[in-house]
Amino acid sequence: MRCEQARPLFDAYLDGELSPALATELGAHRVRCSECRRALALMQVSGHVIKSDPDEATVQSGFTDRLLACMDEPEPRWTHRFRRAIYVGAPLAAAAVIAAAFLGYFDRGDAMVAGHKVEGVQVTAVDEAPTPEPKAAQAPMDDAAARRLEEWLNKTQSNVDTKQKSVQSLQESLDLTIGQWLDILNARKARPEGETHYPGSEELAKPDGEKPASEESDDVEDL
Amino acid sequence: MTDKEGSISRQDEAQLIGRARSGEREALRQLVDLHNDRLFAFIWRMIRNHHDAEEICQDAFLKAFASLDTFSCDYRFSTWLFTIGYRVCLNRMRRKRPVTSDLEWSALPIEVDNDTAASLESEDATRLKEQVWAAVERLTVPQRATVLLFYRQSMGCHEIARILELPVATVKSHLHRARNRLREMLESLRDQDLEQFRNLSTRTG
Repeated sequence: MRCEQARPLFDAYLDGELSPALATELGAHRVRCSECRRALALMQVSGHVIKSDPDEATVQSGFTDRLLACMDEPEPRWTHRFRRAIYVGAPLAAAAVIAAAFLGYFDRGDAMVAGHKVEGVQVTAVDEAPTPEPKAAQAPMDDAAARRLEEWLNKTQSNVDTKQKSVQSLQESLDLTIGQWLDILNARKARPEGETHYPGSEELAKPDGEKPASEESDDVEDL
Repeated sequence: MTDKEGSISRQDEAQLIGRARSGEREALRQLVDLHNDRLFAFIWRMIRNHHDAEEICQDAFLKAFASLDTFSCDYRFSTWLFTIGYRVCLNRMRRKRPVTSDLEWSALPIEVDNDTAASLESEDATRLKEQVWAAVERLTVPQRATVLLFYRQSMGCHEIARILELPVATVKSHLHRARNRLREMLESLRDQDLEQFRNLSTRTG
């Protein structure tokens, strides 16, 4: 047996778990090899000291009585209070924290909602009357921009006036009596083809180059 | 070392635990008296502090008695108690810095067998003993626990595995490494001292 074969067997040898044949082989190697002999001797000696050292600490006398007295002792009053504080106080504290967080969230939410409301009103106002005041208030405007804005306002105002007139004339035409409509039909029969005339239709006729109403909103956006 | 647990059979132990479960004070006292010395010795060797060791022992007994209903009589009560004690000890060691011995060897209440004492009272033997225990103290916690339970408490690897809550193979590995580390740490021993002590240990058994 060589050293590298002998060393893995040391533990089993020390624990008496080695088969008799292997124990004999290891014993023979131990006689021949001083290194393995010394290693085994150190392990045996250390194990023996640990096992048989008579110096042992023991519990102080009265340990059992003290232990049993501990079991009989009611918990100190402060412990009861502390536990009660933990059992009752902890859920209450948790609830308070949750409530505070909840309310804090909604407080912030209100502010945010209020902020949105303000913004919403402003947006609505812009939609209803497309005045550029908010933008003008936000940034100083130079003279050229002011002129362009004034021109656009005048143009928009004239468009609105024209539109209002057209609506008014349509309203008037709808207000015609049945008798008047019959007169119009008779007059149409009497006239030659292509000269039909409806009352108020002259107001409905659009001026040359004027954009349809649907395009006016584009002008607002272009601004 | 006394082996008070060896004086009680498994059947008697089961009866004792049954009485302790019903709250019989005398049964609790007997259980404590049977196991306190062994548990205390193990814990003290682990942490080397008398006061802490006693507190840990007390905690271990109180925890064991508080959950006595969960104890299975398939195992020895000592195994279960050592498991609890080791856990409490580990928790204590994690909370505190490693402590050095607060105890004078000469001040220890020692149970001494007269024959062994006579054989180990030489100066060389005392020096060797100190070297070995100093080396044991430098082992890792699981290695130290394994060595103490194996040599000091004469437990097998299976029982140690239950106490340390480790696989048996791991326990064997701890034991193997601990032996090798002890050998390395004791390399400075002179051959002459070694031979002398081997002769002494052969005579004392």
